[in-house]
Amino acid sequence: MKRRFSLSLLILVLSLGLMLAGCGGGGGGDKKPAAANKAPIKIGFFAPVTGPAAADGDSVTKAAKLAVEKINKTGGINGRQVELVAYDDNLKPQEAVSIAQKLTTKDGVVAAVSGSYSHTTRAAAPIFENAKIPMIAAYALHPDITKGGDYVFRQSFVGTAQGKAGAFVAVNMLKAKTVAILNVDNDFGTTLANSFAAYFESKGGKVVSRDKFTMVEKEFNPVLTKIKQLKPDLIYMPTYSGTGAQIARQAKELNLGIQMLGTEGIDSTMEFLKVSGATADGIIITTNLNRESKLKATQEFIKDYTAMAKHAPDMVAASTYDCFMVLAESMRKNGAEPDKIKDGIYKIKDFEAATGLIKGYNKLGEVTKNVQVQVVKNGAFTYYGEITDADIITPPDK
Amino acid sequence: MLVQQIINGIVVGSVYALTAMGATLVYGIMRILDISNAGAYAIGAYVAFFFLLQTGSPLVALVAGVVLTAAFGFLVQKFLYAPLMNKSPNVSLIAGIGLFIFLQDFLRLVGGPQARELNFGTLLPSIQFPSLQLTLYGTWFLILAATAVLLLILWLLLNRSPIGLAWRATAQDLETAKAMGINTNRVVAFNFILGYGFAAVAGILVGILYNSVYPTMGDVPAYKMLAVIVLGGLGNPLGTVLAALVIGMAETLIGGYIGFFLPRDAIAFVVLILILLWRPQGLLGRRRTS
Repeated sequence: MKRRFSLSLLILVLSLGLMLAGCGGGGGGDKKPAAANKAPIKIGFFAPVTGPAAADGDSVTKAAKLAVEKINKTGGINGRQVELVAYDDNLKPQEAVSIAQKLTTKDGVVAAVSGSYSHTTRAAAPIFENAKIPMIAAYALHPDITKGGDYVFRQSFVGTAQGKAGAFVAVNMLKAKTVAILNVDNDFGTTLANSFAAYFESKGGKVVSRDKFTMVEKEFNPVLTKIKQLKPDLIYMPTYSGTGAQIARQAKELNLGIQMLGTEGIDSTMEFLKVSGATADGIIITTNLNRESKLKATQEFIKDYTAMAKHAPDMVAASTYDCFMVLAESMRKNGAEPDKIKDGIYKIKDFEAATGLIKGYNKLGEVTKNVQVQVVKNGAFTYYGEITDADIITPPDK
Repeated sequence: MLVQQIINGIVVGSVYALTAMGATLVYGIMRILDISNAGAYAIGAYVAFFFLLQTGSPLVALVAGVVLTAAFGFLVQKFLYAPLMNKSPNVSLIAGIGLFIFLQDFLRLVGGPQARELNFGTLLPSIQFPSLQLTLYGTWFLILAATAVLLLILWLLLNRSPIGLAWRATAQDLETAKAMGINTNRVVAFNFILGYGFAAVAGILVGILYNSVYPTMGDVPAYKMLAVIVLGGLGNPLGTVLAALVIGMAETLIGGYIGFFLPRDAIAFVVLILILLWRPQGLLGRRRTS
């Protein structure tokens, strides 16, 4: 009995000691700015490394590592190194939520980047907002993501702007009067399809059919056969690389002969271009990576990423890379505390990034930059045009 | 357009028939819904992919994919299902799901997360009939021929051979078959070898059809295969073929005439529910008499 009592006492004392040590460590760090200044700055990151979007997860993880390496090689943040705290969300919102909680409460990150899709990023965004830790969504495009408050930003175009840009290409560059829409049935595809249709119809165009499919669909012959009979001028297909490649292949096999317009979702060098092969030639997309850009940031990124990954970068990689560069820019100029980082991002003007010149961020945290139009030629994305029209590229601020 | 859509439907249905056949065989004898069969579908495609990459020979790739996956089926039966044989079927079901998830991540780690091209070259050229607005893919003939030949062999095996007799006896009552001197262990092992071989053929053909293999390619077959098996009347090979064609045709015709107002898989399950309301025992299932 006595022995058991002393054992419990020992455990109690030990755990109290540990608790005190824990508090001491945390408190001490805050009180000694000189020591803290040399500690690495932690930036949180999550991406779908496993699950159905693992290919994108792989691209963005490489880009995040490349960005952190680059920041550290070029002097860090005023002498402090940056450390990446990365997690896999398996493309599941519930995972993204627990990751966001871990990042904001346990890991002590000063900012975070989402390298994931719309539904996961949307679930995580309010947690960063409440914790007052700035987060930048690399390429998730659902409008609601940034609507929660000040701390959530977006590095690529909001879906409504990109959908509109697609319709602008359809009307002004391709002179299309009728369109068949074929979209992936989720936040991404629906947002783009709706905003495309709204702008296209407002300019007098006609949507002759709308079909949707899951992101694992492979068989498009039935629906393409139907569309063939409708003879539209254009097929708008907001979807991802796996499904996009099958649409390209099967449209070619069916001798469809209809111009196709895609989005950043098929801006994938590995999955889209390789699988669709020659059948992708002539497909036009709206995206944010202009491979032939004269900007040093773009060319350097393409060179470094290709050397590291052994394949050309895609749009998700470029967007993720830029998130870190924007955070670094803000921290170097404004300080590395969450509030200062947030304020710093709002102050960014005409910043040269891999995805083009960032004109700035509006009060919702939406980026303003030119929309790139690329065309597949000989198995590569090449320049087709650039949308600079303020009416199209200015994101909504409400 | 109707002809084109009917052909589309037959091809889609044949793919489903091939895909679901492996699991039907296993269910027929073991009364286990073997989800890991969908893993074998992906394994077969990946083995073929690696051999194609190494040797450049489509024939070597095809044979290696089927043989190695069949051998894998033998191992799965011996080391996963056999020890669980006397436990509740739920245990086997969960073990199978576990293996399926493991296989998916294994393929991702070994083969990378991206979809890779399974390029067998142009095996058969496509044929166009411009006046009829009809296109027949070369790969379609391959799939239809493979399905027809394999199903014929299976039918002969089941109905016209001693193995088939032992097989049917084991399927009816494993214990009695054993008492009658049938080596049921061997029957079960052969069943898995064949079931996984079928899955591999399906995976490889689908890989060729869509020119891609990827780690999660077994996801859709894993649940669609269940729909086909249930609709066919659980474990009845002929029912599986019929159900596969019904689902393939329904998806295609509804998708082609009304459009993908719902994603295609959802259409398949709506059809499944409607038919089961009418025939709860499945298309060719026997009504249970108590």
